[in-house]
Amino acid sequence: MDWECCWNKIEVTPEECPYIVEGEEELYTIHKRRVMEKCLECPRFVDDLRRMQESGAPLTDVLTYIISEFRDQRAQLHSMGSFLNSKARESKFLHELSLVLQTSLDLDEVLSVALTAITAGKGFGMNRAFLLMTDKERHCLKGYLGIGPSNYEEAWQIWQEIGQNGASLAAMAKNFLDNKLSTEKAKFNDILEKLSVSLDDHAHIFNRALRERTSILVIDAFHNPEVDSRLAHILGVDSFLVMPLISRNRRIGIIVADNCITHKQISPQDMQSLEIFAFPVAFALERASLYERVQEDVDKLTEANRKLKEQQELIVRMEKMALVGRITSSIAHSIRNPLLIIGGFARSLLKNIEASDPKREYLESIVNEAKQLEDVLDEVLNYSDSLYPVKDMWDVNHLVTGVCRELQGALEQHRVTISIELAPGLPMAYIDYKQIAFCIRTILGNSMENQTGGSAIRIISRLEGDDIVVDITDTGTEIPLEAREQLTTPFSAAQGLGSGVALPLCKTILDRHGLPFEMESAAEGGTRYIIRLPSRKEES
Amino acid sequence: MAKILVVDDESNIRRLYSQELSEEGYLVVTAASATEAVAKLAESDFDLVVLDIKLKSESGLELLQKIVKEKHDMPVILCTAFSCYKDDFSAWLADGYVVKSSDPQELKDEIKRVLDKKRILRQRSNIP
Repeated sequence: MDWECCWNKIEVTPEECPYIVEGEEELYTIHKRRVMEKCLECPRFVDDLRRMQESGAPLTDVLTYIISEFRDQRAQLHSMGSFLNSKARESKFLHELSLVLQTSLDLDEVLSVALTAITAGKGFGMNRAFLLMTDKERHCLKGYLGIGPSNYEEAWQIWQEIGQNGASLAAMAKNFLDNKLSTEKAKFNDILEKLSVSLDDHAHIFNRALRERTSILVIDAFHNPEVDSRLAHILGVDSFLVMPLISRNRRIGIIVADNCITHKQISPQDMQSLEIFAFPVAFALERASLYERVQEDVDKLTEANRKLKEQQELIVRMEKMALVGRITSSIAHSIRNPLLIIGGFARSLLKNIEASDPKREYLESIVNEAKQLEDVLDEVLNYSDSLYPVKDMWDVNHLVTGVCRELQGALEQHRVTISIELAPGLPMAYIDYKQIAFCIRTILGNSMENQTGGSAIRIISRLEGDDIVVDITDTGTEIPLEAREQLTTPFSAAQGLGSGVALPLCKTILDRHGLPFEMESAAEGGTRYIIRLPSRKEES
Repeated sequence: MAKILVVDDESNIRRLYSQELSEEGYLVVTAASATEAVAKLAESDFDLVVLDIKLKSESGLELLQKIVKEKHDMPVILCTAFSCYKDDFSAWLADGYVVKSSDPQELKDEIKRVLDKKRILRQRSNIP
């Protein structure tokens, strides 16, 4: 019998077997493999087998059964091989994914990894994914993030980029986090808003998936009685997957994924793979959100500690001030009356004594010293007075001019020149005139004391935002930082640099006004003092 | 000639004020305590009282309240060692106040101001 197929030939030519294609040339000479791989599928062989059967060859029927069984077994093997291959790929991908998720504590980073994994071709290959997170305060599932193309052109561009880059999942997720997260959030803002749903809407498919702890593959969404058709309209697809994210009984949220561009059917295998992936994602999301909360608590504690430290420092300072107040109150009477008597009688005697009398000089000394001591006492007692400022709207330029005029004589005596640069048209300041005048007088007095002969003080007023700034700079001895701090604490070790209580009193007064008192080294040497006065009344 | 009652528990201050105010042409009577002051106010008429806020074991402010209650047109000038008098509302009943000083000029000025004011008010209401 002439056979149409070449199954009985050890070696064949390309003309004899047209089914051997490029790359399979070795089959021309390997007889056994050629029969198994080509002949069993060859239509000529089927014809030969039929002819053999018609000729009454007894084994032909059995051979047909064997061949048929062999084909089925081979198809099954092929299918199992494909399945194993896809599972191997999946395991490798899940391993890569879990490595990335394990190392991330940032919520947005975890989300980027999760949604990239769902939509990346090398991952689960879905076209688009949305994440909704459980918001316990508002008792709802809130649309948080979406990822994927919004049309075919964008999809094509994204897939081309992915194909060219061949980047790892971690790299793709990082790229998404760094460059696309905010735009994707904005891009899907509208859909995310519409997808949000109350946790009380028990019939909603999202809540059902969470409640039943199972993924739901929705098909024919526009006509499916179990699904609100509005959901299909929002997503614009008739098939999508709803996957709950649950970690240790906590409902973290859900992922909604679809193939809005390719419209490829979502298979049960796709669903199964995504379910395996859901647990580590839910766990990582929970961990990241807990970490975020812990971080917030740590920040709050740090801030609370800082405030506590400030309060402690303030209490120490206030205790010192209170001590000063108690001391001054108790000594006021004991010193004031004897001073009054000494100075008063000396003054009285002076009125009746001849100018040429040598005793006059002694009496004048007593009068002057008593007066000086009274002035110091007044300054100390001003502490008590500074406790309750009486505020009103005042012209700062007028105040500065007045204080400078008062000090004119003393400045000339110290051979200190003063230059005044006042900004015109300043708004009124809301201050206690007497107390702020005291502060400026004290600063000028302090500067004057620290000047070497022939130096200068510059006083400037200007507007900075809503603040009226009084800026005083002297060219005297530069006061070191430590000494500057001590100068604003009564009876401190830096007394030699000031009158002891006047500058601390300035600080107290400004503190009570809620204003900072800035002292710094002036650029040209000496010290710069800055007072910022409010031009507006504070809110009551 | 205006008649002034100076109330202070410190004898030297009484002497000093007495001397200084006499030189200014006032007739000065002194009292060392609130009790003595009340007695002297009952004995004769005064045009003004100069009162120390802090008297030994007595409060000048209580005396001030008594004077205002019983002799409501009697002007009182408070003398104080320190200016926290403002914290006590009862001090607001006084017609003037001065911080004690070895230079009595401020006290003299304040006395003049209060007496002038009293005189003008009397003229307006035609009180002789």
